[in-house]
Amino acid sequence: MSDQNAEMTFIAKVFVCCGICALVVVGALAKADPVGNERQSSYELMSADTKAMQDDPLLNPANFAVLDGRALWQEATGTNKIACAACHGEAKVSMKGVAASFPKLSTSRTGGRSLLNLGGRINQCRTEHQGAAPLALESKPLLSLSAFVSTQSKGMPITVERHASNAAHLEAGERLFNLRLGQLNLSCAQCHAERPGQKLAGNLIPQAHPTAYPIYRLEWQSVGSLERRLRNCLTGVRAEPFAFGSKELLELELFLAWRARGMPLESPGVRP
Amino acid sequence: MGKTSRTLVTMPASAKKGDIIEIRIIVQHDMESGFRHTETGQRVPRDIIRDFLCTYNDIEVFRVELHPGMGANPMIIFTTVATESGTLEFKWTGDDGYASSTTSQLLVT
Amino acid sequence: MNRRAFVFSAAVASGLPSFNALGEVADATQAVEKIVGNKNVSRGRVTLVIPPLVENGNLVTMKVSVESPMTKTDYVQAIHIVAEGNPLPNVVSFYLSARSGRAVITTRIRLGDSQRVRAIAHMSDGSFWQGDASTLVTIAACAEV
Repeated sequence: MSDQNAEMTFIAKVFVCCGICALVVVGALAKADPVGNERQSSYELMSADTKAMQDDPLLNPANFAVLDGRALWQEATGTNKIACAACHGEAKVSMKGVAASFPKLSTSRTGGRSLLNLGGRINQCRTEHQGAAPLALESKPLLSLSAFVSTQSKGMPITVERHASNAAHLEAGERLFNLRLGQLNLSCAQCHAERPGQKLAGNLIPQAHPTAYPIYRLEWQSVGSLERRLRNCLTGVRAEPFAFGSKELLELELFLAWRARGMPLESPGVRP
Repeated sequence: MGKTSRTLVTMPASAKKGDIIEIRIIVQHDMESGFRHTETGQRVPRDIIRDFLCTYNDIEVFRVELHPGMGANPMIIFTTVATESGTLEFKWTGDDGYASSTTSQLLVT
Repeated sequence: MNRRAFVFSAAVASGLPSFNALGEVADATQAVEKIVGNKNVSRGRVTLVIPPLVENGNLVTMKVSVESPMTKTDYVQAIHIVAEGNPLPNVVSFYLSARSGRAVITTRIRLGDSQRVRAIAHMSDGSFWQGDASTLVTIAACAEV
């Protein structure tokens, strides 16, 4: 019992620290969201060592996920015993530019349209074409396939645009980006749009463009998706994180991808 | 138990006798340190690679003892002298019966 | 442990380097004694390069080089890396030979805290030499827990 009390005191103290930091950050001069050429990948904020880790496939810890993904791509699976490769052939041809176009609306076999990120689209293929169960969100196989498909778009610009069909989702995502959340009552915009380049607890605040996902985050010591990172942000402002695959996260991902349109994909990335 | 994973080696395919060649090796392994806890407060048990061995035509030329302080997906860059043509073998062994290996041919002229 | 963690997070938040608990430095000293026995450790010949500021302690690139002709009669037989601020001070030990050509090794280690890391080289003549590097380890913003 006394351990629990000591634990709560520690959490309270960290909360106070975060609160003080947040006040210091919020008090500093605010700017407008960087656009066009003012936009910068968080790659630029990393140390030389971490950049080198991302750039060299032999040093990049996410490279193993890409290799695992390549193996899964060729593996016949599901009741239809069919591999991704059977329909899509060589990923470096068929998947070129694909990851850069997500999230997007996808029509299912039953005719319904839903907003999907790349992981969701992979699962749609599994259930509809391979007769396989969807892979658990944030599971190693799904991340590996996502890493493998995403890297086929490496160097290509993000192509998410505003259409009549995705406008409602995009606006919902933008509202969420600007909404104050959590016990710290901070919005994404306050740190990432208004104060990128300033510091929060010793770390440089990035503009938060999803140009490198899935990433090997050094903090996680594993590969993870944008959704996992967004959930970390929500924990950071002391908000209950939205569930993996939730409407909220998907719409936020859509907005972030649209906000980063034209920026080149770096997947798979390494981030601290 | 027989756990294994990928290991990737980068080294030149050929060298002149007496040249010092650089070898880069990396292996896929989480290197669970034994110091992490789950969200419910349970300690995740240690599960790491303990040893790395490089042999050159079956003779040991380089060896490493790894402890939990080694980073995940252990990566080592080291050197060896090109003495004669043959096979370099790279072996990792660790907790829970982990073992993986790969080889690379070197032509020495 | 909780008080130390609080002081560490407060120190990081204020941008100051944190300190190592005296207990861990003592563990490191013991670890070095186990390696060298009752022999002296001379300073020099060993260069350890670690970035002075590390973004995340989970994967830190380090490079150790030892001046040595690496001949059959004069070579580095082992290099031991000891981290003064880690819960287990022994991080990795490299065993070289006269066939190594150079005593230069790069690898990636975990550093649990800002600290001094030591590299102890064991020469073929039985002597020990050491070099060290100190680094500041920052923790990531917006973590999972």
